[in-house]
Amino acid sequence: MRTRITGGRVFDPANNVIDQVRDLLLEDGRIIADAPPVQGEQVVDASGTIVLAGGIDLHSHIAGGKVNLGRLLMNEDRALYPEPFGDFCGCGGGRAVPTTHATGCRYSQMGYTAVFEPAVVGANARHAHLEMADIPNIDTGGFLVLGNDDFLLRLIAQSEGQQAINDYVAWMLKATQCCAIKIVNPGGINAFKFNGRALDLDETGPFYGLTPRRILNTLQRAVSELGVPHPIHLHGCNLGVPGNVKTTLATIGASEGFPLHLTHIQFHSYGTEGDRHFSSGSAEIAEAVNANPHISVDVGQIMFGQTVTASADLMSQYRNHGIADPKKWIGMDIEMDAACGVVPFNYRDTSFVNALQWAIGLELFLLIEDPWRVYLTTDHPNGGPFTSYPHLIRLLMDKPFRDAHLGRIHKAARAHTRLAEISREYTLEEIAVVTRAAPARTLGLKDRGHLGPGARADVVLYEEQADREAMFAAPRFVLKDGEVVVVNGEVVALTKGRTYAVHPPSDPLMDKRLERWFDEAVGLKASHYQIADREIRDGQGPEIVELTP
Amino acid sequence: MISGESITGGAARTVRDVVCGFCGLGCDDLEVTVAGRAITPRTACPEAARLLARSEAPPPVPRIKGAPATFEEAAAAAAGHLKAAHSAAFSGLGADLEGLRRLYDLAMASGASLDHAASSGLFANLERLARKGWIAATLAEVRNRCDVMVVFGDDPASAFNRFFSRAVPVRGKGAEGDAAPLFVTAPGRRQIAIVGGSLSEPSRRVLATHAVTEIIVAEHEVATAASVLSALVAGRAVDGLSGLPEATVTALAALAEQLKAARYAVFTWNAASLPAEDAPVVAGAASEAVDLLSVTTRAAVFPLGGRDNVTGAHQLALWRFGYPLRTAVGAGTARHVPELYSTTAALYDADLLLHASAFRPDAPPDFDRGPVIAIAHPDTVFAREPEVFIPVGTPGVDHGGHVFRMDSVVCLPLQALRPAELPSVAEAAAAILVSFGRGA
Repeated sequence: MRTRITGGRVFDPANNVIDQVRDLLLEDGRIIADAPPVQGEQVVDASGTIVLAGGIDLHSHIAGGKVNLGRLLMNEDRALYPEPFGDFCGCGGGRAVPTTHATGCRYSQMGYTAVFEPAVVGANARHAHLEMADIPNIDTGGFLVLGNDDFLLRLIAQSEGQQAINDYVAWMLKATQCCAIKIVNPGGINAFKFNGRALDLDETGPFYGLTPRRILNTLQRAVSELGVPHPIHLHGCNLGVPGNVKTTLATIGASEGFPLHLTHIQFHSYGTEGDRHFSSGSAEIAEAVNANPHISVDVGQIMFGQTVTASADLMSQYRNHGIADPKKWIGMDIEMDAACGVVPFNYRDTSFVNALQWAIGLELFLLIEDPWRVYLTTDHPNGGPFTSYPHLIRLLMDKPFRDAHLGRIHKAARAHTRLAEISREYTLEEIAVVTRAAPARTLGLKDRGHLGPGARADVVLYEEQADREAMFAAPRFVLKDGEVVVVNGEVVALTKGRTYAVHPPSDPLMDKRLERWFDEAVGLKASHYQIADREIRDGQGPEIVELTP
Repeated sequence: MISGESITGGAARTVRDVVCGFCGLGCDDLEVTVAGRAITPRTACPEAARLLARSEAPPPVPRIKGAPATFEEAAAAAAGHLKAAHSAAFSGLGADLEGLRRLYDLAMASGASLDHAASSGLFANLERLARKGWIAATLAEVRNRCDVMVVFGDDPASAFNRFFSRAVPVRGKGAEGDAAPLFVTAPGRRQIAIVGGSLSEPSRRVLATHAVTEIIVAEHEVATAASVLSALVAGRAVDGLSGLPEATVTALAALAEQLKAARYAVFTWNAASLPAEDAPVVAGAASEAVDLLSVTTRAAVFPLGGRDNVTGAHQLALWRFGYPLRTAVGAGTARHVPELYSTTAALYDADLLLHASAFRPDAPPDFDRGPVIAIAHPDTVFAREPEVFIPVGTPGVDHGGHVFRMDSVVCLPLQALRPAELPSVAEAAAAILVSFGRGA
């Protein structure tokens, strides 16, 4: 059936359509070229609305072992935020770490139709996929965590050559059905297993004698040569450490011309100036990002309130566990692949550090000029729950609103931020870029993030309102693959999503090597580590993202 | 990996690399011979061999009040009972994740409390894990890093037959570069200390090259010994406070010194085999010791458990409901009250029991307050004939599926070894759900 969405103001920056009143025609889950009206087509009146493609969150911890450990620790949060009653209640809830059903519903209620789990540990990938399959209304994909895995570090340490690395990376991507490579604290998680407590970019790690820089560059080359669309998604060294702005700048300089995505860069933009030895490094970071077109970032904005931080970076989480709130935390070394640390946090605007973190995130959003290289995230749940996105959007779009909030934060923090001097307000076009077009482009999703013919019919109609928070919290309509799933901010239908993966080819010899590795070192058969296509979403299989070598 | 004939073929064939979903250790290198419907284990521990073996015998048919029925009739009868019930308890939950997903769907539709037959150890550990947390390691990390292991309680091999050979293998002379352990300085000789019962002879043989210390402690004193060890690691005085024999305290003091000198110490215990009131104490003491050691070196806990995919049932409950097991769901809500919704407690008030046990023929718990629906292993012997009995196939024997390993990280794919003649738990639960208008 054809659906015509008519009379809305369309913002489709990927196709250079900015604020044009035009019809959108949908058929069989796709957008098709506009054509004269035909009998029996369904008409959706979009007058008074802003029409955008479905939202895409490229960094949100929604599934897998560490998320479930977060749920285990956050029973109080779960009890406080049950799912609303009604036909689409899944007996779940939670705000900081919502259950699968609640995750899909809350995302779809804000107009998001795809969300990417950015830290899939290989050994836990099957769990992550089973959990993602239980999330309704959004498409998903996982980024595989590499860079601390013993097999890789040994390959690099033994100077086996780039081809062996590429074969291994390709094998792992296919085995775990992931769509990009994430590095978390390169070499650092592994170093912590040998009792290393810190590892800077050019420091040599224990046992393998490798620097994070070398691990980073090796994997950058691998994803580039394999043609994985998204560049290395890097959670850099020294997360959260005052003074880490130096490391981050050095990392930008270390990327050797390869594209690089720096994730939750807010947590990596801290200086040591001032009497509290904690200051904003956002100006230097923004300047470096502006000057280096091969760098993209997502911010990892912090939002005040209770949340839980869940990260593969056990080295950093161990360092931070003393400030857990409430006082409990879980750490885990994982299967020669990586680790995880889950630490509840309560970000308070009355805390100097938290208040300044909030300001630093906003400074980064506002000082980095090219919206195509900034993606809107809170690093859910680490900086704050994804349900705070409408509020964050208003902070970006509404200077008086932002200033009013700035006036309420810790006084000394206010004195340490230049946020008040920044007059920029994001436009609707820019919001469409940072929440749709740009993430789709970097992930290589050609039929997403835009509204041109051939695109998936994921379309959102937001009622034009001066209060941008209210506007982005409750769209008038959300269509997922052409089906209406949300009306006036309420879920009206549940659909099944899909899972994105890349399947680069690898030399069959790598199969043999990994068979031996898994047999002898890991104590698990390689064939049981590998996830078959039929295991994805009850036999549906993955949606393969095209490689661009 | 299946060699020879296809799965439906008649000739005997050998199936290698069979994944085992029974005890929770997740061994995936078993070997069986399959001839028609008969399965003869070739390489498997005694427990797995017992649970994998199958004869040619045809499977039983479903029964309603003891009378043979079709699958559809049995499912409809089960749905009728569920609709009439006000307070249903789902017990057992011995199923793969696919089966559990459907059982949870059913519980959400009909309203029911959920608990697994093997959850007692899990809940003892949760008293520590959910309230304060811990630092844990997965099996491959233990294999490759652990240089000092402390075992509290009985010989783990009694419930997890191959635990020692998988967790602390010996790197033989001339081993290839991949052989575990990769990071232990003296790879053939790790320090293994048992604080509890004595080791079995087979375990002693497996551990022959390691430096094994057996600190024999009566079952009811294991928790005290664990607390003393933790205190000694902390450097606290324990003289005369514990009631333990002096020789035991001396041995524990020596062990504490070994732990402090270790590069990666691992503490393990099977909470399900410890006295109920002591298991949380042991989990707490082990976690405390890890916290203390972690200030200067590395250490981790490796709790044992996970029978019949209890870990999967726990994980699924967390991602579906945001709570562990012992939760009642229905009417859009979930209430987690372990004291009310453990199977024992739930059955005081329940007016229906649905028992699911696909891995082994475990009978439902005693229950006489209302109908019993058994979605169960075909060999189950019932003390009281259930109102509805739907015999189901076993995951990893009759059909594929997914189960979690005890470390809660690795999820394993089970494969069918023979053509299924019985429905899976997922199919049985889905058939019942049809009557609720929420069929598959």
